Amino acid sequence: MNCLLPTDFDRHDDVIVGVIANPASGRDIRRLTAKASVFTAAEKANMVQRLLGPFGALGVDRVMIMPDSSGIAATVERSAQINRSRGESVWPLIEQVKMKSTGGVEDSQNAARIMRDAGARAIVVLGGDGTHRVIAKVVPELPMATLSTGTNNVFPDWREATVTGIATALHVTGRIDPSITLRRNKQLRVNLGEYTDIALVDVCVTRLTHVGARAVWDPDTIAELFVAFAEPDAIGLSSIAAMINPLTRDEPRGLCLRCGTEGRRVLAAIAPGVLETVVIDHCEIMQPGVRYAIRTERGSIALDGEREIEFHRGQVPRVTLELNGPPTLDVSSTLAAAARLGVMATPCAREMLR
Amino acid sequence: MNTELNRESLLKAYRMMRTIREFEERVHTDFATGEIPGFVHLYAGEEASATGVCMHLSGNDYIASTHRGHGHCIAKGVDPAGMMAEIWGKETGTCKGKGGSMHIADLSKGMLGANGIVGGGGPLICGTALAAKLRGDKTVGVCFFGDGASNQGTILEAMNLATVWNLPAIFVAENNGYAETTSPNYSVACENIADRAAAFGMPGVIVDGFDFFAVYEAAGEAVKRAREGGGPTLIEVKVSRYYGHFEGDQQKYRAEGEVQKLRNEKDCLMQFRRHVTADGDISAAELDAIDAEVLAMIDDSVVRAKADPKPGPEELLTDVYVSY
Ligand SMILES: Cc1ncc(C[n+]2csc(CCOP(=O)(O)OP(=O)(O)O)c2C)c(N)n1
Ligand SMILES: [Mg+2]
Repeated sequence: MNCLLPTDFDRHDDVIVGVIANPASGRDIRRLTAKASVFTAAEKANMVQRLLGPFGALGVDRVMIMPDSSGIAATVERSAQINRSRGESVWPLIEQVKMKSTGGVEDSQNAARIMRDAGARAIVVLGGDGTHRVIAKVVPELPMATLSTGTNNVFPDWREATVTGIATALHVTGRIDPSITLRRNKQLRVNLGEYTDIALVDVCVTRLTHVGARAVWDPDTIAELFVAFAEPDAIGLSSIAAMINPLTRDEPRGLCLRCGTEGRRVLAAIAPGVLETVVIDHCEIMQPGVRYAIRTERGSIALDGEREIEFHRGQVPRVTLELNGPPTLDVSSTLAAAARLGVMATPCAREMLR
Repeated sequence: MNTELNRESLLKAYRMMRTIREFEERVHTDFATGEIPGFVHLYAGEEASATGVCMHLSGNDYIASTHRGHGHCIAKGVDPAGMMAEIWGKETGTCKGKGGSMHIADLSKGMLGANGIVGGGGPLICGTALAAKLRGDKTVGVCFFGDGASNQGTILEAMNLATVWNLPAIFVAENNGYAETTSPNYSVACENIADRAAAFGMPGVIVDGFDFFAVYEAAGEAVKRAREGGGPTLIEVKVSRYYGHFEGDQQKYRAEGEVQKLRNEKDCLMQFRRHVTADGDISAAELDAIDAEVLAMIDDSVVRAKADPKPGPEELLTDVYVSY
């Protein structure tokens, strides 16, 4: 290993990081109804490779990557071989997870479980809100470093992979304390009889009675909205809530909104390139642990922007804000701490700062 | 777009899908007796695709189909009795019994034809879409093609041309997991056929082909966009077929129980029925009545097809070429 920093961290076991790049993310109907971006498999493979330099330089030993048939993992493996044969072995060892691919969301979930069981200290996820959601469902306590592969997302970071790679490596090698590197997220739980599921950003109750093409793009179909956080500079449904009552990712509260024909009209960017008016006639703070009943008689429920659940007359789904959602890497505070503590600087460079 | 369908449309969609299913199940049974001449490729399992798309089309819109074309024909309004007679090679058939399963065409319905040439539909649709654009009549053309066809130069050229000319064309890739016996995992150089749309500068979306509503919504947006002059769209419908590549295919390449599992868990008719009856908008009895009517209609079409005469030898050289 060609680690460029002192390896005075816990080297008990190999330092393993998982990487899951969802090849299917960014292909839903929003390409058609909005001007949502398209990330090619080639770009996803490039992003993964941009993680590997920082990983190698900072002491990550092994990277487990989810296999896929679009060639993301294969491209990365090939590059790693070329890298090695040139003697530039600064990258960690790359291995594809041994699993059967189905092309569905189960792939990401299976890969995440295998990575956790193999001792991965974090998973870097390349995908949208949906990809992060399905992974958080199966490995709720494994830290995720989030990377958005599209313009449609709120939960994952929209940033350069190299930087995420540095922060991830600083976290998994224990150079910076988890109290700084990790952020505990909120989540929304939906219960319908026996059925339960989660959303990381928003739960939208629509009047559309079918799951159909999944996305929600017509404001007239929105009946109720529950958000775990609402950032005014976000895209998508949570931005509606943000225009009424912004809510950070850290406040122990959520928000519940109901739409009507009279009330406060807000303009919000509900999809890339789409600014729509939504009429809100009720808005209340959600307290954690309290079950909020859905008032709509029948319809479908979108989790983080995608319709997942259909419910019928006589059924009352409930939404609960939970404070123990998945931990994610806080890249900004990790790198700020790295600078403050001089982690990336040699002792004499540190002197210069003083 | 309001994607909620009214009762009438829901019943129409159900009847369409049921008609395709019943037609295919019947051809499957009858083909095994050896009485049907030629080759048939059945569409059972994929009904939601043709139906979800064609529900948005009128008689003036065109579609181009594939070797697996019965579903597209029925969804575009071609008379099932004429189709049955065609498959049986009878002069009462849609093409006077001279085309057979793989060449059923009915221009009066905007159905350009099933097509023995894999990938043959793309250029045809560019033609009708160009005509529509020049006429300015807001009609559209839909090219159905398979995952195998997605690798054909004709399809890729057609998608390029449709973008270059900004044509009112919709490309519907019916990815049923096999081209004859080959999985797209071996032959398609990307995870999704929809991924290719980006290279041609058109939107590409993926929908679940067992879910009528998913196809219907995506196709609705694509058709609307095309009619408004927004240009072409690629929709990838992820689906499967219930029967072999052709009738008689032993299907050794398929996992045991694969089809049964799909029939039990994903079947488009089953899902549709569950959905529309859940809130009592439509009763199971109404759907049962449609099932019975369709069955009687298919029965009748077979009885007539069997009894009808074959084209005579004097017909051998007629209808071979179309003069324009
Ligand atoms: C140009 C051409 N090449 C090869 C064939 C032989 N052939 C007939 S169907 C088929 C497979 C088509 O697969 P796909 O496009 O996925 O359609 P599906 O059968 O699955 O509906 C092939 C190779 C043909 N008919 N035409
Ligand atoms: Mg196929």
